[in-house]
Amino acid sequence: METFINGIIPMMTPILFAALGGLFTHLSGLLNIGLEGMMLLSAFFSIYAADLTHNLLIGFLAGIGISVLLALLMGVLSLNLRANIFVVGLGVNLFANGFTVMLASLFFDSKGTIFFQNLPRLAYLEIPFIHQIPYLGSVLSGYRLLDYLAIGAVFLCAFILYKTPYGYHLRAVGKDSKAAQNAGISVYRHRMRALVLSGVFSGLGGCALSLPLQTFVGGMTNGRGWIALVAVILGRGNPIGVFYASLIFGSASALANWLQASVSMSPKLLMALPFLITLLFLVVKKNKLEEGVGR
Amino acid sequence: MNQFNVWRTVFIVGAALGFGLCVILLTSQEPGVAVHAFFVGPFSNTYFFGNLLASAIPLVLTGVAACVSFSASVFNLGLEGQVYLGSFLGVFLAWRFETFPPIVLYPFVFSIVFCCSGLLAALSGYLKIKRNVNTLISSLLISYIAIYLVDALIETVFIDPNAGMAATPYFSDRFLFAKLLPPSDLHAGLFLALIFTFSLYLVMKKSVFGFEIALTGKNPTFARYTGISVSKILMLSMFLSGGFAGMAGMIDIFGIHGRMIRGFSNGYGWNGIAVALIARNQPLWAIPSALFFAYLENAANVGALLSDITPEIARTIQATIFFTVTAETLFSFVRKKKGGEAWKPSSTASSR
Repeated sequence: METFINGIIPMMTPILFAALGGLFTHLSGLLNIGLEGMMLLSAFFSIYAADLTHNLLIGFLAGIGISVLLALLMGVLSLNLRANIFVVGLGVNLFANGFTVMLASLFFDSKGTIFFQNLPRLAYLEIPFIHQIPYLGSVLSGYRLLDYLAIGAVFLCAFILYKTPYGYHLRAVGKDSKAAQNAGISVYRHRMRALVLSGVFSGLGGCALSLPLQTFVGGMTNGRGWIALVAVILGRGNPIGVFYASLIFGSASALANWLQASVSMSPKLLMALPFLITLLFLVVKKNKLEEGVGR
Repeated sequence: MNQFNVWRTVFIVGAALGFGLCVILLTSQEPGVAVHAFFVGPFSNTYFFGNLLASAIPLVLTGVAACVSFSASVFNLGLEGQVYLGSFLGVFLAWRFETFPPIVLYPFVFSIVFCCSGLLAALSGYLKIKRNVNTLISSLLISYIAIYLVDALIETVFIDPNAGMAATPYFSDRFLFAKLLPPSDLHAGLFLALIFTFSLYLVMKKSVFGFEIALTGKNPTFARYTGISVSKILMLSMFLSGGFAGMAGMIDIFGIHGRMIRGFSNGYGWNGIAVALIARNQPLWAIPSALFFAYLENAANVGALLSDITPEIARTIQATIFFTVTAETLFSFVRKKKGGEAWKPSSTASSR
């Protein structure tokens, strides 16, 4: 039970990061399907760079950098060349999937799990005083810097989106791009920035996946990008909502891990849960019926 | 397809192959052998060529499945799940009714699989009509749920403990389709795929229903004013799309595998989308388009077998197709007027 509860936050972190990234594109009126691919590419490049330089910070930067690069590619294709962002996103996922395995077999001659032993470990931080509180202490404290960073990012995003002109403009672009354009807000620039931000956050999500484990496996994102997208929808496009949704999905993953270890039950049923919850949410939530459809 | 689109397609295909060439030259230790294996290998003997045709079969079907829904401007993204559910149902029914003669079993199983996969897709259409849930998102969610549920069934109830992987036991091999080019995988399902594609072509191009789909896809408001029930078209096009996707998986199972293997259909659905996009939603063009996709996959496999490239190269090349295929202004310097016909600008992706 203890392992289950302490497993929730680390399972949540990558999903939360990617979901915050997806939040920006979602609010700008784009559906970024490429989160999964950005995360995966970042997971590979961050650990590869960290291993080469023995420096975690460079690892982080490399992961974020490659993910932003991919986001820029998506932006150029979908905004400048007017390709369908959805199809481009599928391409990003496919590309990341093939490219990482290709590089892994090229650099490490392995397509399975690659273990990086010499990598510096991510330290676990105990928050003074709080970790001494009985029972609650071990739940609230004792995570890695990355986990605290993810939770801090929620508040940062909430601040950016609701307290700055940029956030206000971004949401305006998503709500009604024509009205925003007429009001003098550049739709193109805001969507591009939103894509770049989604690249930054998905990149962090990818780092949070591979660096703590000190391993890379092909396809290690395992649907987390999709779950992050679903968390954005379930969170109703609001950072706090996204945090709760990610927390639920993190718990579901932790529960799946725990059940798999303790009971011999197929974890697949639990993995279907995030998608089922979101579907039910979408069905139950009040939707304005489109004119004419439904007759 | 008009001439402009043909040139555009040629460019996309050329760019993809060019990218593939660059990747091989950069990564291979013996570029000459690798390039030869990649470009000529799949056609060098009947075994490789048969496998190429065999792997195009499911792609043709998922391609036309995507064509139907895209023509009506609904986005069926659950192809992957519909393929998977259809395959599993096919295997399950082949066990349950193993005493049936194949000639009785086929139509029976095919119609059930078609209906079930179709209904899975139609559910998204229903949710769109009744609750205005975005079809793109709901079909994706439903598809993932279906995949995980089928996976759970394969891993627990129906697993073959001796298989050494997550797979069900084989069904009676009386039901397997005849092989056309042994020892390759090519099977008689090829004809089924062609028949299905051609009949869909007739429906889409020569029937009133097909006209209604096209009209609804181009302009739903206008379609409604002409008395077409947009909801009905939406449901039916999703149903057909799902049905064809189910067929794709089932024919692959009855032709090659003879049992259900976890993740065997990896990518059939996604690649079907790309096939439909290259074919610009024309069912008959889905055939060459699927052959091209299958060629990329097989060329990389042959290259891996005869030389030192990794089969995953195929995915990076296919990705370049996803990148370029819907880019509307890629050729704006050739012609000022926009060339894409059945494709709406990027805003539709978030609105429908």
